[in-house]
Amino acid sequence: MQFMSSYKKIVFLISFSLIFLTIIFWIYQGAEIFTKTKVLVDNTSELDKELGIKNEIWVDKFVLGLDYTIGIIILIMILTFLTNYLLKTKRKGS
Amino acid sequence: MKQKIFLIIFIFIASNIFPQGFKVNASGEKTFNFTDRGKRNQASFYSTTPLEDITGLTNDINGKVTLKVEDIKSIRGDFSVSVSSIKTGIDLRDEHLREENWLNADKYPDIKFSIKEISNVKQIADNRFQVEFSGDFTLRGITKRISGNATITYLVESEQTKQRAPGDLLGVQAKFNVRLADFGVNNNIVGQKVAEVVEVSVNMVGSSAL
Repeated sequence: MQFMSSYKKIVFLISFSLIFLTIIFWIYQGAEIFTKTKVLVDNTSELDKELGIKNEIWVDKFVLGLDYTIGIIILIMILTFLTNYLLKTKRKGS
Repeated sequence: MKQKIFLIIFIFIASNIFPQGFKVNASGEKTFNFTDRGKRNQASFYSTTPLEDITGLTNDINGKVTLKVEDIKSIRGDFSVSVSSIKTGIDLRDEHLREENWLNADKYPDIKFSIKEISNVKQIADNRFQVEFSGDFTLRGITKRISGNATITYLVESEQTKQRAPGDLLGVQAKFNVRLADFGVNNNIVGQKVAEVVEVSVNMVGSSAL
């Protein structure tokens, strides 16, 4: 009984940690609304500068958005409740 | 005192009567082709709303400019950008952008701009001028007169410029605003994720030898 209870706590602790890390990572990546797979980076050459122009190019880069962040949080919550449900079922069975 | 006043008046009149132009060996009318095979010329739009900032970029610019080298105001030209080439960094959003209620790429495959007037010419460096321009902007088949600011730089052909293209080069950086509603684009349909007015920037280089 005591073992199951502490196990449940660990599951919740891991879940909250994962959710917290996901949110921190989302904020770190710029707190974008939508997930991006490409970002613009400066590619201005010396000749471009002499010509008075700028140049930017798309490069492949994953930027986590709020959409995927919410998705990941929901997935973590589902897995947490599923794990707890299985633990509860196991406790009842034993 | 009178001499100073006359001098100021003379400079003012002279700067308005005598055309301002590039100080290069070439003279007369020149044509610059902005169709870059290397696809380094670019036009972009920037939309900012409380919900999201969006940048769209295309490297598919075609166009030509004709000018008298000694007179910046003589610049005339036409440009086009293919709608389907605009990328925003999210594939799904690019698809939405091409849809009928947005830019309608199937029916109107190109965005066009035709330079009609150059004014307020100011030299900011050797062979570099800041100008105001106005022209006919065509989006979704609707043409409206718009105006903006541009910086135009002339570089005579050198070993360095040949890395980009043969011939003399004309660098153009231009900015102007486009009110989407003027061209039949209703930004409300996506919950105001796109601004009512988007800023368009153009960075391109034309060659006299292409």
